[in-house]
Amino acid sequence: MSRQASRLDAKKVNSEFLTLTYGALVTQMLRDFENVDDVNKQLERIGYNMGMRLIEDFLARTSAPRCLEMRETADRIQQAFRIYLNVQPTISNWSAASDEFSLLFDTNPLTEFVELPSDLSNLRYSAILSGCIRGALEMVQLEVQSWFVQDQLKGDNVTELRVKFVRRLEEAIPAGED
Amino acid sequence: MSEEIVFDCLHAEIVNYCLNNSKDQNDLGTLEYIGFTTGYRLIERLTRDVGRFKDELETMKFICTDFWTLIYKKQVDNLRTNNYGMYVVQDKAFRFLTRISPGSKQLEQAPKFVAFTCGLVRGALSNLGINSTVTAEVQTIPACRFHIEVNRG
Amino acid sequence: MAFCIAVIGKDNAPLYLATSDVERELDLQYHVHAALDVVEEKCVIGKGAPESKELYLGQLFSTENHKIYGFVTNSKIKFIVVIDSSNIALRENEVRAIFRNLHMLYTDAVCNPFYIPGEQLTFKKFDRAVQKLMSGNV
Repeated sequence: MSRQASRLDAKKVNSEFLTLTYGALVTQMLRDFENVDDVNKQLERIGYNMGMRLIEDFLARTSAPRCLEMRETADRIQQAFRIYLNVQPTISNWSAASDEFSLLFDTNPLTEFVELPSDLSNLRYSAILSGCIRGALEMVQLEVQSWFVQDQLKGDNVTELRVKFVRRLEEAIPAGED
Repeated sequence: MSEEIVFDCLHAEIVNYCLNNSKDQNDLGTLEYIGFTTGYRLIERLTRDVGRFKDELETMKFICTDFWTLIYKKQVDNLRTNNYGMYVVQDKAFRFLTRISPGSKQLEQAPKFVAFTCGLVRGALSNLGINSTVTAEVQTIPACRFHIEVNRG
Repeated sequence: MAFCIAVIGKDNAPLYLATSDVERELDLQYHVHAALDVVEEKCVIGKGAPESKELYLGQLFSTENHKIYGFVTNSKIKFIVVIDSSNIALRENEVRAIFRNLHMLYTDAVCNPFYIPGEQLTFKKFDRAVQKLMSGNV
């Protein structure tokens, strides 16, 4: 029997399994909350939590040294997208002060099959991604803001995720130590 | 594999979301439903290049072997049927239970880590025309036994 | 290239129907309907030839003007394609290719989280792609 499905590409199946499960979560939330903004917030929150966990795996996997400036951070984020979602966003649109940049995606695996109904134009379907970046960076003492500037789901040519440096956080001192 | 940890994190978040959002902390209905709709859609893709199933047994075999291996990255350890529509799948190291330390307190928590999968299997079968009831039984973490009862009605 | 492409649900309710010849739409719908009976017959277990494991069911029947082909997915969704009998240039592997593409489009549509299985397929992406398939511009 197993000869039948062996033709299926395991990597593709993994990615589709993730995409479909995420889609099921988004539609469930739309049933649970009346307000689309609440759904956006929840998705961002879930991404934030996931980012906090994924960064540990990322650091262990890449044994990456500490980033000293945003340009290094941008490269690491790009690398993380390649490792975890098998996509390679382009880094661009740096601000003059080098504290703000964009990640441009030609494809977004999360939205591969999605066609947004017209009444959901304010849904930030992929909000989990911006949440993930925020959560992961907070674990390495970087507070950032992250939001979508363009989205292919809304008819834009690319999906653009903006990341802005806010401040460095103090090392958290473990409780019980002076 | 790298995407697997992403899925495992998402699964953990979905579990928390569903339980925090329901009035009853033991209500696993939403979680099961998210699994159901995922399984229903996923099987459409996974059976795209597969020949037509000739009967229930062939369909069940596909779900319990090919489907399981693709999703859970390992073969089931045991598959049995009583030939009256009851199928039992045993997985001695079930993916969503392997990160949990064994203990009686954790055992209490176990149902929430298997509900999504119960739905996933029920959804996949449903789209293939088999109406079923799927339950799971965890006796010692991370081993798990899924009972699939075909409702032949 | 094709006159009519139809997607029929598990319970034989039409989920999608596109025709390139609006004037003959009723006629074509009638063919689709008649085709479903043939599909049903072909799918009866143990009756078909050994090669009946294939999802592609081949030509179901033909009329003076049309040839009607069928395909059934493992999820019991039926695809019916009606083509012009006079179009002898269209070979069977091209008909197969139409079904293969349609199958892919259908699976993608089912994976859209906003599509509720069993309901009519009204999504733009799907419609545009099927229309292309029908005109042969793939």
